[in-house]
Amino acid sequence: MSEFFTRLGDGAAVMMSEEDIRYDVEDGTADAADRGEIPELSKEEIDYLVEILTMPMKNVSVERGKEGIMTFDAGTLKLPVRAGIPVDRLATLMMHERVLCSDTMELCTTDYSYKSIKNFVQEEAMTMELAQNNCIMPIFYGAMPNLGQYTKPDGPIDNWSELLPMGKIAEARAAQEEAVEHAVSDMVFITGQMAEAGACGIQFDTVGASGDADVLAALMAAKELKKRFPNVSIEMGMAGEFNLGMHGQLEYEGERIAGLYPHKQVKMAAEAGVDIFGCVVNTNSNQTFAWNLARALTYAKACVDAADIPVVVDAGMGVGGVTNTNTTPTDVTSRVSKALLEIAKVDGL
Amino acid sequence: MTKEEYIEIAIDTMKKGDADAAAANMNNAIADGIDPAELLSEGYSAGIREVGDLFGKGRMFLPELMLAADAMKAVSAIVEDEIAKKGGTSEKKGVMVLATVQGDVHDIGKGIVASLIKTQGVEVVDLGRDVPAAAIVDKAVELNADLIGTSALLTTTMGEMKVLEDLLKEKGLKDRFKTLVGGAPVTERFAKRIGADAYGEDASQAVSEVVRLLG
Repeated sequence: MSEFFTRLGDGAAVMMSEEDIRYDVEDGTADAADRGEIPELSKEEIDYLVEILTMPMKNVSVERGKEGIMTFDAGTLKLPVRAGIPVDRLATLMMHERVLCSDTMELCTTDYSYKSIKNFVQEEAMTMELAQNNCIMPIFYGAMPNLGQYTKPDGPIDNWSELLPMGKIAEARAAQEEAVEHAVSDMVFITGQMAEAGACGIQFDTVGASGDADVLAALMAAKELKKRFPNVSIEMGMAGEFNLGMHGQLEYEGERIAGLYPHKQVKMAAEAGVDIFGCVVNTNSNQTFAWNLARALTYAKACVDAADIPVVVDAGMGVGGVTNTNTTPTDVTSRVSKALLEIAKVDGL
Repeated sequence: MTKEEYIEIAIDTMKKGDADAAAANMNNAIADGIDPAELLSEGYSAGIREVGDLFGKGRMFLPELMLAADAMKAVSAIVEDEIAKKGGTSEKKGVMVLATVQGDVHDIGKGIVASLIKTQGVEVVDLGRDVPAAAIVDKAVELNADLIGTSALLTTTMGEMKVLEDLLKEKGLKDRFKTLVGGAPVTERFAKRIGADAYGEDASQAVSEVVRLLG
């Protein structure tokens, strides 16, 4: 029986038979369907995914006409910070536009939280203005709501990560509710400054990293921003495949936020005024690439099917089926891109 | 009531995180002649495992998980008292030093693991996050710990777990402490490669592995 080069979730290279790959694909889609209470991939979709996974080429590509929008969250951290290339942020944006063919990009700073940025937002606004004067592609400004930064010792609010293990649940919940108010205020303020500087949009990144209160803050900020700056596009990218219930009881428009999976997250985001939704599915390092990609596709497809707004899927290290490795292998990223665009029919990556 | 009925209530009280109802059920069961250790294992421990699974699927949330852990502690205290009354010992099963490795500030998962391991009668000393390997080893020696658990969320920090293993070998302490590793990028293969004694894919497996390591 012939075997195919593929990988495990931590990036380790392995050879697997088509039968084993198919087994993992079926198991991965079943896992997502069970957790998210969504449909599994169809037989035709599974067949096509197995075909993509067993293609002999090192890298694969989409069929002409099935291309998607390409963008980068934490955009200006990729080359100068993570790759260590000594270029400034403006040069990074122009390299992405003119060399790497990004369709849109995010300007951001190393301290990637709205709370931190308000201290130097005027300088960020100047960089945004320069970027707008030099680039053709739409430029967003982005950071994380990062509610944890509002807690002691970094902020004024009691730390719910300390209160919860002490059994002080009411106090932990009250602290999170207080942090939401601060975060909304900061996100609205910074977006206002960036809108003045000509930003095409604002990105709320890794939403939910501090739990359901983090999500509520982003939703409330989006709702307020849509009223104040209707022409500024709002993109909301999630932290994980379901909203972690750090509070557990918070609701938006009468629906509980915690535990929502992408197909429900996107509806809530759209209702709040979000224009582009960033779907995130976590990679399990212990499972195979085939299992992880099938799982990511199942969630992404349900999200796209439910959405009334464009959906982009986070297809970077450790999410979207991409393996957990510092430098992601192109055999993996190209197959993830092809499958997400052709099977899940996402709008972009 | 039958033992099965007490077990069913025990599981339900864990899912509801109701410490008072959990304790009352255990006391009633003891009065009815049910073996408290069996009820703890087949009822309450099974319940808390179910809570862990529901949490992993996003169908239960952190406050409920914490309430369940508190309920488990209340029940464990009753069982320990009962064992002591019968002349047995209710000594703690072991001491574990737990930390998120140096360079890594992610500790939500580690906190959950700590809470669940404590429910098994293990004393957990949580050193927090961004903890250098040397500090972890020093604390383990100071406390005469049985286990060292480390967590990492990043591929860039998981290498610190190997630093810890190397340090233990260098100091001649590898046989003195059992080591357990976990966190999103960590795998069983990685654990074996660096020489860790056990790997926990999630909080529930971490608990099982701690119980196994403590024999």
